[in-house]
Amino acid sequence: MILFDGKTYESSEQDRLLTELKNKIPVILSGKQLSPEMVVDAVDILREDLLKGKFDELLTSFPKDVVATYKKQAEALLSKEHLHKKIATELGDTEEYITDPMDGFSQILVKKMPLGVLFHIAAGNMDFLPAYSLAEGLMTGNINILKLPSADNGLSLKLIMQLIEYRPELKDYIYVFDTASTDIQGMRKMAELSNAISVWGSDMAIEAVRGLAPTGVKIIEWGQKLGFCYISRLDEVKDAKEELEGLAKHIATTKQLLCSSCQVIYLDTENPDELRSFAVRFLPLLEKAANENASEEIGVLARDTLISYTQRLKGYLGEEEKQENVLRGRGVSLILSSDSVLELSPMMCNVLIKPLPRAKAGEVLYESRYHLQTAGLICPDEDRGSLADLFTRCGIIRVTKGSDMSAYFPGECHDGEYALSRYVRIVNVEK
Amino acid sequence: MKLRRKLFSSKYPYDCTKSELFLGACRENFDHLITHCKDYSKICRGLGITSSEDISKVEDIPVIPTMLMKQHDFRAGRYMVMATSSGTSGKMSRVRFEFGALWSALKMSLKVTRYHGIISMRPCRYIVMGYKPHRSNKTAVAKTAYLTTFLAPALSRKFILKHTPDGYKPDFESIVEALKKYEKGKAPVRFMGFPSYTFFLFRILEEKGLSFKLPKGSKIMLGGGWKQFYQEAADKETFYKLAKKTLDIEEENIVEFYGAVEHPILYTSCPAHHFHVPVYSNIVIRDPVSLEPLEKGQTGLVNLISPLCKATPILSIMTDDLGILHDGATCPCGVKSPYLEIIGRVAPDDIKTCAAGAADIIKGVKV
Repeated sequence: MILFDGKTYESSEQDRLLTELKNKIPVILSGKQLSPEMVVDAVDILREDLLKGKFDELLTSFPKDVVATYKKQAEALLSKEHLHKKIATELGDTEEYITDPMDGFSQILVKKMPLGVLFHIAAGNMDFLPAYSLAEGLMTGNINILKLPSADNGLSLKLIMQLIEYRPELKDYIYVFDTASTDIQGMRKMAELSNAISVWGSDMAIEAVRGLAPTGVKIIEWGQKLGFCYISRLDEVKDAKEELEGLAKHIATTKQLLCSSCQVIYLDTENPDELRSFAVRFLPLLEKAANENASEEIGVLARDTLISYTQRLKGYLGEEEKQENVLRGRGVSLILSSDSVLELSPMMCNVLIKPLPRAKAGEVLYESRYHLQTAGLICPDEDRGSLADLFTRCGIIRVTKGSDMSAYFPGECHDGEYALSRYVRIVNVEK
Repeated sequence: MKLRRKLFSSKYPYDCTKSELFLGACRENFDHLITHCKDYSKICRGLGITSSEDISKVEDIPVIPTMLMKQHDFRAGRYMVMATSSGTSGKMSRVRFEFGALWSALKMSLKVTRYHGIISMRPCRYIVMGYKPHRSNKTAVAKTAYLTTFLAPALSRKFILKHTPDGYKPDFESIVEALKKYEKGKAPVRFMGFPSYTFFLFRILEEKGLSFKLPKGSKIMLGGGWKQFYQEAADKETFYKLAKKTLDIEEENIVEFYGAVEHPILYTSCPAHHFHVPVYSNIVIRDPVSLEPLEKGQTGLVNLISPLCKATPILSIMTDDLGILHDGATCPCGVKSPYLEIIGRVAPDDIKTCAAGAADIIKGVKV
């Protein structure tokens, strides 16, 4: 299904519509500019309707507690107040201004303008991400072409259509395609219509996008990241048990699938015995959390098991010599490793446990500099500041509690940048 | 491969007395694979199984998930034929067969089809509810569906999926035309292929108010998986009723096959529509969380074991099917070996992860 000009079309019409879009874009760009206020209004009405239960039918595929959490988040995050705050935080001063006079130079008008046409290639690992990415593009006044992820269940399209229903003027700025990821020609055509491509995904996906993008197009990458939890002087941590339970719950609920999820638990030690005794202590907590958060559906359970088993075998294929030391529980495992490399775990509650003495943190993090994002901390209060400083100096973007590694914090950036500021450019006009 | 030869030469395809021979043939196959397939030996070592002496029962054989075979091409020496799984989104398994495997498969197919009365000398007309062979199509489904049309001499072959410049398209109209013609003739008609298309054909015939009285001895043979059809599969009764109503084919003339390119053993349904496990294979149902073997009657992941092939390590593979193994003694057909009931599939594996590399995004894009 394609959404074009506020109307839906069959996927087979993609080629014709993209040709039409090429003629349409200059007309829209030379016309008036989209006001962020209109987008904020539409999103706010969407929020109201969501809270009233208008979309409950669409949410039946999610577990009840997840729907409740989503609604709670939407109530706060999609409110006018929060959106205004977001624009202010992420774009800074949006008012145009004239530079101060300086002898021998002309003054200029400085203002922020949309990039023009934004092509979003959204990933499917987070619900609502495609719609959210598009809303960010709208808030910055861009024309948006959105390629839906292949696993999208129709929810994104429905929400986007709602926005147009609330504010029909938005239709000129929204074009959604369900192009297959293998349709290179189609994607290239979309890339050629754009000023910038916002791509979410793996190194491989980003590399592919770089390949198909015309020279000159700005590529805004939201790439694959690896999170870890750092544990130091656990014996001196107040409420250590609660902290570890929180970490276990984080691992069980995200199944280690998010960029911010914990892949590796690092212990501030060089002693392998300490790793083992930590694992023995943590295993029952992880097992409990996994069981409490396990899907009851056998198909999902079996799929998750197959994925982690396959991942485990792939590990054997890759590193022949690697000696594994694994503690297994029902549906979970802790893999003790003697190296300190930050790497992807087999996921699905199969966590790597590695030694990382503080003094070596810089070296290890530098090796992973392209994939750093979140570090959860479990340490005595007096160490928090110095560890946070150390990690952020070495490239970490977010430092959180062990339990909050994937939590959302209002005002937070994404991978070190504010999305909205990446979707605008600054223009100067001589006075 | 002495023991394989012996196993595949078993006279009775559902012989329950050959479990020792079966285990021996598996160990023989394992010894070959571990010395000829580097990747297989890496996995076995990782799992702690380094020689056939570590295998005291079939459950001990290292299990390779088809999910891994779709991501990794295993090679184990020379081969004659390669087949691929149908594979969605560009992911498919490659399975290679050497002469000995093909020869064993042929012996197995003849024995099993003869046992089920599918081999016949009476010429018939085939309607293949699947792919028309085309050089661009290497899927095992296309190959086996075509091979099935040799089980009785073919007067003609019609294919419902036609290769067009836009890919494969179903062509129901020409099948309806053919049925009108065949109804008047004497030769039995044999349908072969995907259950889903066959079911749709029934529906179309019913909607159009068309029904045919096909010649005696006509059969419907179903294979290639029910795939996206499980929701409706519960309604097999309806399928049988529609077969009778639209084509005048009785329930006992509907034969189902089960198999996978990664486990090319021919499972053929008995008159009670059960897939009994033949002497050439074993099935272990595994716990969906711990992967430990389960007792009969419990639902879990389906682990299929057979020492058929040595050019690809498909000795013990894990499908993404969920099933139950039932005690065969309860089946009225007389075969005593256990039978497999397929319940469904695991949830789609296209889960996305940014941490793991949201591979779906542009999988297969080479630019």
